[in-house]
Amino acid sequence: MASVRPWSDDAEIFRHRRAAPVHTWERWLLGVMLFLGAQSVFYFATWWFRTEHVNNLPLFILLSGATWYGIVRLMVGWYNAFHVEQPDPVVAPDGLSVAIFTTSAPGEPYDMFVRTLAAAREVTYAHTTYLLDDTGDARFAQLARDMGAVHMELIGIPGAKAGKINAALERTTEEFILVLDPDHIPLPPFLDRVLGYFADPNVGFVQVSQAYYNAGESFVARAAAEQTFAFYGPILQGMNGTGTAVAIGANCTFRRQALQSIGGHGLGLAEDLVTSIRLHAKGWKSIYVPEVLSRGLVPSDLQSFLRQQLKWSRGVHEVLFREYPRAFRDLSGHQRISYLMIGSYYLVGLTTLIYLTIPLLYLWAGKQPAAFFLSEYVQHAAPVGIFGILIYQFAQRWFCDPDRERGFHWRGTLLKIGSWSVFLQGFVLSVVNVAVPYIPTSKERKRGNFWRLARVPLTVLIISVLTAVWTVFRQLFVVPEAEVRITTEVTAGMLLFLICNTVLMSGRIYAAWADRERVDE
Amino acid sequence: MSARNRYQIAFFALGWLIAFGILFQMGVGSGFHSLYDAVNDRLRRLAQRFSDSEGNAVRDVRGSSRTDYLAPLRPTLSTVNGLKNPPTMLFGVYDGGLPNTFAGMDRLESRVQYKFPIISCYVAWGDKPTEKFPTRLVETINRMGSVPMITWEPWVVDFDETLRPNLPKRPEREYASLASIARGDYDFYIVEWAKAAAAFGKPMFLRFAHEMNDPYRYPWGPQNGNRPDDFIAAWKHVHLVFQKMNATNVLWVWSPHISMPWFEYYYPGADFVDWVGIGVLNYGTIASWSRWWSFHQILEKAYPALMKLEKPIMICEFGTLPAGGDEYEWYRQAFYHIDHTYNRGIRAVVFFNQEYDITMSSAPLNWSLLQDQRAAGYVAQALAAHSGL
Repeated sequence: MASVRPWSDDAEIFRHRRAAPVHTWERWLLGVMLFLGAQSVFYFATWWFRTEHVNNLPLFILLSGATWYGIVRLMVGWYNAFHVEQPDPVVAPDGLSVAIFTTSAPGEPYDMFVRTLAAAREVTYAHTTYLLDDTGDARFAQLARDMGAVHMELIGIPGAKAGKINAALERTTEEFILVLDPDHIPLPPFLDRVLGYFADPNVGFVQVSQAYYNAGESFVARAAAEQTFAFYGPILQGMNGTGTAVAIGANCTFRRQALQSIGGHGLGLAEDLVTSIRLHAKGWKSIYVPEVLSRGLVPSDLQSFLRQQLKWSRGVHEVLFREYPRAFRDLSGHQRISYLMIGSYYLVGLTTLIYLTIPLLYLWAGKQPAAFFLSEYVQHAAPVGIFGILIYQFAQRWFCDPDRERGFHWRGTLLKIGSWSVFLQGFVLSVVNVAVPYIPTSKERKRGNFWRLARVPLTVLIISVLTAVWTVFRQLFVVPEAEVRITTEVTAGMLLFLICNTVLMSGRIYAAWADRERVDE
Repeated sequence: MSARNRYQIAFFALGWLIAFGILFQMGVGSGFHSLYDAVNDRLRRLAQRFSDSEGNAVRDVRGSSRTDYLAPLRPTLSTVNGLKNPPTMLFGVYDGGLPNTFAGMDRLESRVQYKFPIISCYVAWGDKPTEKFPTRLVETINRMGSVPMITWEPWVVDFDETLRPNLPKRPEREYASLASIARGDYDFYIVEWAKAAAAFGKPMFLRFAHEMNDPYRYPWGPQNGNRPDDFIAAWKHVHLVFQKMNATNVLWVWSPHISMPWFEYYYPGADFVDWVGIGVLNYGTIASWSRWWSFHQILEKAYPALMKLEKPIMICEFGTLPAGGDEYEWYRQAFYHIDHTYNRGIRAVVFFNQEYDITMSSAPLNWSLLQDQRAAGYVAQALAAHSGL
């Protein structure tokens, strides 16, 4: 039974879980829903792309780009749901040589390592834990010794975490390496559940789910966690089905030989993705195990979340522009689609900007991209939205921890749309090739200046309110009556559009308010 | 599960879906359609209610409205009988910005200090959304205190071949199209229009298949094997469909090309026509085939024949291009002749205020009255003198 307070019961949270198996009847039902979904997209497309709908061609192209970017992403989600595949558990043979690498950086809290290293010691399969340490702090060396781990002092090595991993690879000999983020607390059966898959000599890495224990801590933590549930649920399981499961920095177990074949762990802001695309290009197979085998920390304050997203946005675009074209020839068809989709995830910053601009362009300059009414749009887009929601809710049965993860993830959606400016910043920075420093995501909740954190959504809010006031004033006093009457529906539609945009910014404003600096603290 | 199994299941799921789809089509399909139409109708009504409250708010803050301005004409404009025989001259306007904007009409109205009781628009036949009955537009015109006039052009080629498998292929469709309209081939479309017109319910002018006697212009002309009898049969058929659908709020404007011969032979009869509509457009010297014609020169030959029909006459397209003459003088003389020579026949004049007309020439023609300030000033005076407002 679901716990009443799902995020407060530690025993429940730190329990080994596996996603529910996929039944045949579920595939049948899903198949029907996917066909209906595809048909609703077709129906929408035949309505959208009509020449008489074009009012202002450049704007129509922009609006179409934003709209169809979203729909294509939705459909790729469906394609993943269609391919959901869970690997059968394989018993780990005895006698494999295994290392756990965990890294520490200056400023990371000592207590976190106490917990992680203690948990690593409890992992039942025989292994050696290495602490890759560049804090220069004697306490860390002592801690490693106390916890039965090997302390490896790696100060001043370029390439941040990945650099340390590569340096440690040279000094060790274990055949399999689990890269564990220091905030992740592994569960005892971790290695037993993943090592068996390496019996297939072509398997290069095995990824497990990434789950969190602090998702109940704050609005941002909850929202950031919500954004990952589907990914570690049906999406990665679908990617497993198409042979495209990716490595996610933390909790990935690599075969040393695989890493060596690509000259070591990849570097960069999205080092995990770089590594995984290179491994796939080299022909290594990957497995995704839909099991909760560790719990870590999700950013719990807005500032850390936005920093993390900027880093990823910059890094992912780097992969899209640099690694993807290089690897393209060697990837399978599914992998080409999959990496393109991951690489373009943060373009949502650009499309949000387009959505924000369109009502403003109409209400201030009278430029209207498309010649249809909002009511017609709603009528034709509604089936796509309905099937999108139905399929999303249905696929939640394959979440790794449904008790804590199922639901309408409105917090995650609001925070994602609210973070558009950061995604866009990452995109622009990678286009003009400006570096973003690699800073590990903060492990503690920080407070920030409300005005600074909420600057972007507040600006949107203020512009929207001014626009709405100006529009009402103009309609009442300035515009000729006949023009008021004939444009009434378009104007009302655009105002509604504007209001929706503003409401979508509310998540980030609320998060900034919740994380504001308080005088009494 | 192997990939092969997965695709098998998907394939059978599709099979089930098709089976359900057929059942759905047989039983619930029509229910779904009517639900869909009901939602659409509800949304439109909501928009109209919103438009009404917006219109009221605008009137309240400005202390005036188009409806108030046109109130003295209300008895005439609000009933079909009033419009069949108006006591004063009615003026109207067509603006090229429709149905998206009234900006051009607003400019004209504010220049001539007048609000037009008739607002004219053009709609072609076909399957595109813009070719449906323009409910939004006519509702808006009605809410602005005016009466809509739709020139309804049977461009039968605009019907989609895949949607309409029973119609001939496009290239063959235009030949003798009026006879096929009379036969009922296009009733699927005419009935929808008649229903929508009846649902609108307020008086409106309908000018169907205008200039049917001109062999150089529209596909429903005599060059395509359309004989006068075919036109009359088509007209009567369309008229009948509208009567059957209770669209008795429609005033029928029969509109031949008066510079082309034998237009009398296309007259469907007094029972089927409420107004005689004509175009009086002076193209000036824009092309080899044209020269500067005065209003009187265009109309004088045809007028006696038109008068014999004993119906009020509407100048449905009234205007001049600037090239080759004096616009001010053209309008001055036109109003003189409207008042003196043709005062017994002409009961309505609709200004052709199209700034971008590409129907007759490759270069766009500008018919706007606002190009000549003297002419516009004269028209303002004339409107004030004639309007009855």
